[in-house]
Amino acid sequence: MKIAVCIKRVADSETRVKTAGDGKSLDDAGVKFILNPYDEFAVEEALQRKEKAGAGEVVVLALGGAAAQETIRTALAMGADRGILLQTDTVPADGFVTAQAIAAELKGGGWDLVLFGKMAIDDYNSQVGPMVAELLDLPCVTAVAHLTIEGGTATAEREIEGAVEVVQCSLPAVITADKGINEPRYPALKGIMAAKKKPLEVKPVSLSGGAIEVLAMLPPPARKEGKIVGEGAAAIPALVKLLREEAKVL
Amino acid sequence: MTTVLAVCEQRDGALRKVSSEVVTGARRIADALGGGAEVEALVLGSGPASGADQLGTFGADRVVTLTAAGFGTYAPEGYARAVVDRAKAGAVVVVCAASAQGKDLAPRIAAKLATGLAADVTDVVVEGGALMAIRPVYAGKALLKVKLTGKPAVLSLRPNVFTPVPRPKAGAAQTVAVTIPAGRVTVKGIKAAEAGALDVAEAPIVISGGRGLKEPANFKILEDLAHAFGGRAAVGASRAVVDAGWRPHADQVGQTGKTVSPTLYIAIGISGAIQHLAGMRTSKVIVAINKDKDAPIFKVADYGVVGDLFEIVPALISEIGKLRG
Amino acid sequence: MKPSQYQAPLPLDRLILKTGTEGAGDTMELDVCIVGGGPAGLACAIELARLGKADGNDLNIGVLEKAEALGEHNLSGAVVNPRALRELFPDLKDSDFPFRRPVEKEAVYLLTSGSQIRLPTPPTMQNHGNYIASICELVRWLGAKAEALGVNVFTGFPAASLLVDGDRVAGVRTQAAGLDRAGKPTSSYSAPNDLTAKVTALAEGTRGTLSQAYLRWQGVPSENPQIFALGVKEIWETKKPLDQIIHTLGWPLPTDAFGGSFCYPLEPNLVALGIVVGLDYGDAALDIHVLLQRLKLHPLFRQYLEGGELVEWGAKTIPEGGFYALPARRSGDGVVMLGDAAGFVDVPSLKGIHYALQSGIYAARAIFQALKAGEPTGERLAEYDRMVDGSYIVKDMKKTRNMRLAFKDGFYVGGVKAGLMTLTGGMLFGGKIDMHSDADAERLTPGVLKGQVSPGFPGSGTTGISKVDGVFKSGNSTRDTIPSHLIVGNDITREVADFYSHMCPAGVYEQVDGQLRVNAPNCVDCKATDVLGPRWTPREGGSGPKYKRM
Repeated sequence: MKIAVCIKRVADSETRVKTAGDGKSLDDAGVKFILNPYDEFAVEEALQRKEKAGAGEVVVLALGGAAAQETIRTALAMGADRGILLQTDTVPADGFVTAQAIAAELKGGGWDLVLFGKMAIDDYNSQVGPMVAELLDLPCVTAVAHLTIEGGTATAEREIEGAVEVVQCSLPAVITADKGINEPRYPALKGIMAAKKKPLEVKPVSLSGGAIEVLAMLPPPARKEGKIVGEGAAAIPALVKLLREEAKVL
Repeated sequence: MTTVLAVCEQRDGALRKVSSEVVTGARRIADALGGGAEVEALVLGSGPASGADQLGTFGADRVVTLTAAGFGTYAPEGYARAVVDRAKAGAVVVVCAASAQGKDLAPRIAAKLATGLAADVTDVVVEGGALMAIRPVYAGKALLKVKLTGKPAVLSLRPNVFTPVPRPKAGAAQTVAVTIPAGRVTVKGIKAAEAGALDVAEAPIVISGGRGLKEPANFKILEDLAHAFGGRAAVGASRAVVDAGWRPHADQVGQTGKTVSPTLYIAIGISGAIQHLAGMRTSKVIVAINKDKDAPIFKVADYGVVGDLFEIVPALISEIGKLRG
Repeated sequence: MKPSQYQAPLPLDRLILKTGTEGAGDTMELDVCIVGGGPAGLACAIELARLGKADGNDLNIGVLEKAEALGEHNLSGAVVNPRALRELFPDLKDSDFPFRRPVEKEAVYLLTSGSQIRLPTPPTMQNHGNYIASICELVRWLGAKAEALGVNVFTGFPAASLLVDGDRVAGVRTQAAGLDRAGKPTSSYSAPNDLTAKVTALAEGTRGTLSQAYLRWQGVPSENPQIFALGVKEIWETKKPLDQIIHTLGWPLPTDAFGGSFCYPLEPNLVALGIVVGLDYGDAALDIHVLLQRLKLHPLFRQYLEGGELVEWGAKTIPEGGFYALPARRSGDGVVMLGDAAGFVDVPSLKGIHYALQSGIYAARAIFQALKAGEPTGERLAEYDRMVDGSYIVKDMKKTRNMRLAFKDGFYVGGVKAGLMTLTGGMLFGGKIDMHSDADAERLTPGVLKGQVSPGFPGSGTTGISKVDGVFKSGNSTRDTIPSHLIVGNDITREVADFYSHMCPAGVYEQVDGQLRVNAPNCVDCKATDVLGPRWTPREGGSGPKYKRM
């Protein structure tokens, strides 16, 4: 099985978010960068598929700055065979620009499976995977929480509002991984050692501007002062009204 | 004519609520763009969807139902093709929902139109003729203001944010049969989510109980309340009750348990130790029900109800039940 | 009450294993295994890798670090003397080092509850030529240098046992991961690994578990037992800028406790503030975290903190025994001991980082020579002790050998003695002052010590934070289903449980209905518990705090 896994280097979820001097990006002073947690699921899935098939290759692909090599090494330490970094100055705000670069690299690669995380925990874009599928003209299932592959057919389960959708397609295909699909492994000592010697190809790419331009990164609105709605069961109709009309959560 | 396309959603032949939100958002964009821009609500199905005739109420000038044999359930590739064909007929903006289906469909539409997608948008404005969107990033710790320069512009709206506003328009209904295959990705079935399987860290609504519940058996009323929310709610617990063995560890919300940030967090009989607050204070809306009006939980709660939870929770269950019909 | 009466013994049977003992998953052979990726361990790795390369022989060096990422378990003031870094990087300038800024202005105050008296800066505390830094940032920078030289840095792998062969240290076994509360493997279980090495360098930091085990196992003596202080530290973003480093003595410490506070601006509006107290304090209810919360209310600090935001919190012990607490040897067959693990800290100047780095450099040179000569025997590695003993590390510590010890009699007597020692260059009171271990220091329960009863938590107000909130701000997100890593002694009374609850800055211990409750996941690895209470042992890699700029 020949599998590509597309991964991203992202700020850790515990990051204290501050806007940088340019007013539109993250101030990365003191920020810890990690392999996007959903991409960890994708890497794990690739490794398990390869192990199950008994043969094949798992290639990890990242787009980003030179520091993303570290992230690729993490995936290699987990067990991927080789890495490719599409090196850029910044990760574009427009996911389609990223998707074009990735698709150009993957095109004609003879992949049985192309895996992504369902989204990155920094930009919440949830889009590069299916866009790459479109560009490569491959079937795609997103946000997969359970996957079985038999005889060239993938059967996937994905969570939808209040239910689970069971989806089928044939391979080759693009799958984006959600939590639940597997339990990612920790890199073993030997894996970490081996990762240093695995091939990691760095390819500079230049990207087009795209259709999404970031104007500003703003702090979220301050939390409003809370209020006591009332006492006892009598307060419930007022509470529900507020939840519906003011908070808009029902 | 300038058209804003509102991509609606149906399940089992009935329009989903998020559709009226999409139409509302599309209407706002159309009005802001000016020049008599029209909203075309697009419904995809194997036949007419119930509720489609209501979309005019929220500002759809036209409601177009595209029917094809394979469109009964969500057909990612067929739907994307159908929407894109329609968009190419002159849409300047395509609006989807950032729902489970929309998150899958919108990127395909954008890619087929060779343009970008502003996903999970919580607000839209038009400034100097340019369409701008606000979208949360970093788990809501920051907002990005982006300009959409694509022709057409494609965006998906976060559910439950664009409250449907009545804005009556003609809503002229039209059904068009298209000959588009469903595609290579097919939905084989829809399973009901397992009861109670929802993880507190993932659930859009979390209902947590603490020592105020007095004994483990009383968590039943929390489960009943979760049930009233129709499978969207999970039951969580404070460390005190987990340590006491009343609830499993997997349900613990707090600094040494799970960090949750649901849309709605209801803390019942929880005083609000800081380690608990640490695990839930990023929730969008926090409701506290506690008999002690000085409990710290009321300091972080958006809405508080003081009193006996054994009276209040059943009242809440019945009120939520009424809401859902 | 003596805390030692309630302490469990060091679990030597777990900490010292014969090579080949069953239970390991992977095994790996290294030339040198360094336990601990702090300043000492990384300096050792860097120097060693360079020596190897210069000799045309790439050494296989592994650094084991228990934190999830480098720097996350490091905490220090810190004002750093650049001396050792200059030696480690002769081609770099001070401006190339990851320091925040040079010390330009400094002040020492004696505090009373509402005011402060400026004191002349004691010679040992003068910091001209030193730099304000975050040890986390320094460690990450060193880690990158080490990796660039081909050193294998294994983060998230705590060393749990020494592997021994006769009297020789032959490597370490790492801690298993993925166990449930009962100690049973879960689906994400990963077995311990055995790393064998020609030399094992113990650079575990303060109160190192394997270092203690080695000294105990080999019966290596020291003139005095090692003693410790606990520091609790916070980082604040302030509205008002601070342009000098501040040290204080006096309030809010009771007079029978040794310690003081520090306040260093990393940036004009980013301030590190902490309090350090000797763990031989007499009042069983003394709570160092609470003292820091009170300190923040003092007008001297309040003016900076009010309206600001707490960004990080952390705690760590400091070995304070000085010269007389140094183990008779810090080397043995196949092993050396570096930095804080060996006790290289000079209390009067509040410095340890440059000694740690320097000891790492010396260890690397001794190890390299020993490897070249063939077997790295204890005799050959004793060259490390000779280098350290002949260096400024021991010279500095010898000069101030009794200054901390003088304070065992209380702040004022100690202050006078220490002052005289400073003036006479250590000549006066030059003989050795005997010291008992912290756990053997008698504790008086609240109310017994007149006028010394520690006041309680000052309340949340504007700047005060509770322990659990502090733990949250340490970044600690330890899996809450791991087995407890703390070994509690027998017959813990209500009084002792109370003592523990005050002693631990992270709220690990609570006294509930007369019983001790242990919230093990709260632990931030400061090691105070190991000094005075339940024994600390290594736990699943990546557990504990995630310090960023401490």
